[in-house]
Amino acid sequence: MKIAIIGSGIVGLSAAYNLANSAEVIVFERRYPLYGSSGRNSGGITPMLGSKELIELAKKSIRIYDSVQGEVNFNFLLRKDGYLKVAKNDADLDELEKEYHLQKSMGVKVREVDPYEIKNMVQGFNPKSVEGGFFGEGGVIFPWPVIWGYEKGCKERGVEIKPMTQVSEVVVEGGEVKGLKANGEFYKADFVVNAAGAWSNEISKLAGVELNNTIIKEEICVLESLKPFIDPYILNVSNGVYLSQSARGEVVGGILGKEVSNPETSSSLDFLIKYAKRAVEMIPSLKGLSVLRQWAGVYDSGKDGLPVIGETNVKGFIQANGLGKYGMTIGPAAGELVAEVILKGKTYDKFSPERF
Amino acid sequence: MRLEDHPIVEFKRGKEVTIYFNGKPIKAYEGETVASALYAAGVRTFSRSFRFHRPRGFFCAIGKCSSCLMEVDGIPNIRVCKVYVKDGMQVRTQNSFPNADNDLLGVLDSIIDRFYPHGSHYKKFNRPRILREFITKRVRGFAGTGNPPKKVFEGEASFEEIETDLAVVGGGPAGMSAAIFAAKAGARVILMDENPFLGGQLVKQTHRFFGSGRHRAGTRGIRIATILADEIKELKNIDVRFETKVFGIYDGIVGAVEKEKKLLRIKPKKIVVATGAYERTLIFENNDLPGVYGAGGVQTLMNVYGIKPGNKGLIVGSGNVGLILTYQLMQAGVKVAAIVEAMPRIGGYFVHAAKVRRLGVPIYTSYTIQRAIGKKKVEAAEIVKLDENWCPVKGSEKRIECDFICIAIGLSPTHELLYQAGCEMKFVPELGGLVPVRNKYGETTVEGVYVAGDVAGIEEATAAMMEGRIAGIDAAIKIGYGGDEALKIREEVVRDLKEFREGPFGARIVAGLQKVTMEEGGA
Repeated sequence: MKIAIIGSGIVGLSAAYNLANSAEVIVFERRYPLYGSSGRNSGGITPMLGSKELIELAKKSIRIYDSVQGEVNFNFLLRKDGYLKVAKNDADLDELEKEYHLQKSMGVKVREVDPYEIKNMVQGFNPKSVEGGFFGEGGVIFPWPVIWGYEKGCKERGVEIKPMTQVSEVVVEGGEVKGLKANGEFYKADFVVNAAGAWSNEISKLAGVELNNTIIKEEICVLESLKPFIDPYILNVSNGVYLSQSARGEVVGGILGKEVSNPETSSSLDFLIKYAKRAVEMIPSLKGLSVLRQWAGVYDSGKDGLPVIGETNVKGFIQANGLGKYGMTIGPAAGELVAEVILKGKTYDKFSPERF
Repeated sequence: MRLEDHPIVEFKRGKEVTIYFNGKPIKAYEGETVASALYAAGVRTFSRSFRFHRPRGFFCAIGKCSSCLMEVDGIPNIRVCKVYVKDGMQVRTQNSFPNADNDLLGVLDSIIDRFYPHGSHYKKFNRPRILREFITKRVRGFAGTGNPPKKVFEGEASFEEIETDLAVVGGGPAGMSAAIFAAKAGARVILMDENPFLGGQLVKQTHRFFGSGRHRAGTRGIRIATILADEIKELKNIDVRFETKVFGIYDGIVGAVEKEKKLLRIKPKKIVVATGAYERTLIFENNDLPGVYGAGGVQTLMNVYGIKPGNKGLIVGSGNVGLILTYQLMQAGVKVAAIVEAMPRIGGYFVHAAKVRRLGVPIYTSYTIQRAIGKKKVEAAEIVKLDENWCPVKGSEKRIECDFICIAIGLSPTHELLYQAGCEMKFVPELGGLVPVRNKYGETTVEGVYVAGDVAGIEEATAAMMEGRIAGIDAAIKIGYGGDEALKIREEVVRDLKEFREGPFGARIVAGLQKVTMEEGGA
């Protein structure tokens, strides 16, 4: 069996990793691994999510991260110092509480924290900036070694990864995938997996399959390196600002993204202004620190906020996209689902490409 | 270590103040940067490196490197070569225990590679999980350069939105000329520079310039800076912003920070980027030892702040910068042990070389520096002869006694802003590195963004001024100013510059320019 995977982000690579022992797998990457959102995100992971399906995938993914690091002998610099969701108003706090009950019922370790507890948890936190929050399992992973590690694992299992190789055509005959054309060459394949992230809509079009994932652009910046003083990953659900401190001591943070019509990654001054205001409101001692660099990334999300995973009406053309801002959080488990779809013909109603 | 008598420069020092370095009082004068005041007081270790905790000292002096990051009044990671002393200022070294000069973690330098070589944080101690998680947590404890801020930054924060015709980034010879020529044609100009003065690197050029009279030959660089600055003062349509750092060009919007407290959001019709260049370094053993300096850094220390870099120096590189620096050092009463030059012949102008030789400084051609010797600062250097394949000749090593080493091997364009703005860039060795593709008036592939001066290709101040004039006036013309008179002036300067480059030293530049100059029209 031959499988062609389009996209070498977390979804493409974890799918390849799980398929490698049962099939001949080639991963096609238009640019290079890390170019897309898997190389541009801030690495926050947690099962403190808002739906049963996402929580399950997130819990499973943390277990996978634990085992894969040993299997491929590569440290993803996963730091489980907790995940903190804070809200600035009662409405948002109520929303978090609803999620909290769901999370609790599914066995996620999470508890409510008041602003002064948060202040004790994070040096310099301004308790007046929030109404309250929830603290639970999760933390920060460094996305780059995740991709490097999966790449290493894939290659050791015989997967071929082709960077700078653009897929120009998905060959479909009689409603069935026959292969694809990339950099002018034809590759025969029984299955073509669309794991192209923000570019998934375009790839889907090549197979003649309609996909209407929402494309979201998000900006991030990094401050100069400091001794560790922020342990948990902090997300303010009211204004979208989030931040954490990397293994190198840099404060990495951004603002949740907005829908755009095309995937493009230019940075803006307005983002810096907004981020500075919101981050300083939350942790006033960040004021006066220098921004080292800034960048933007794009990702795609299923219209209902859930991933799109499953076979389409073109036989052998598999969607594996739409993970939204949860790519790092649920990617490893999503890759396993892709393998199940291909190897065992499984379908997942909640994620089905046919559900829209 | 402060110079009192200098044959050319007169140092006007401000009021005496006291700053505190790791708690110890140090005498300084208003107008001096923290870095230069510390240097004058004999401080040589400014920081410790991130991983190996190697001592790092003064290096570039113009805010381009990270050797002088310190904590100033509780705020971490401040480049102290860009901060001016204030009475009572508290300055502390970072990432060291108890301080940078006597860092106990310095021991890591000799052992860390044996047990935990570079990159091993991904590959070692991965199994079992418990060990991996323990090590990952512990290693994090060593990360980070500065301490978390001890208090909230007290500076006020404000915001200004500016609409104007032309934004000029950099107040060196190119930027000043661009501002003057655009303003004379009638354009409204905002001229921004990160320093509290205009002139860029001209302010340390105490020597006379060459060329014809029209190109201000025979005038010292510092004098040219004053002439241009005076001209700018006269032009009411130039708004000069000092201590203003431009950090990005976002789709025609220029982002800058003025005096660490005001954010500027500038919407100009055209932009001239004249950010200059920074110094290159050289790979040799111990090249990060305090006492190994950029030539420009030494010029800044000596010619701007009047502080002696040391007692005896070794100069690496015999281009004009190396030769001129040599006699500037001798003017300031500093000995120069030797000049080494990797090429088989001297790189700079004959007149400069002859002058240096008359002063008794040996120039070793086909020699390079092999290592800096010393534990916490330079105590000597080892040089070695190179064969025709640029390989060191065994047994030809020479020890040169010196207490500082100047790297004068050339400059690289400060191209980051152009890259960020989206300009098409090319690597052109003749022009010093990565430079933007442009048309003959300096407009890049991003419409409305111009380049002039060293950032367009390493040359020297005379050419930089002409490039600045061309860019400035062309921008003004495109906006609709100046009429036929401006067109005439523009073509005149283009001709002048072409003529200026026709000499033997211009051939290399012309060859380089051919690779990046677009035909008529451009963007």
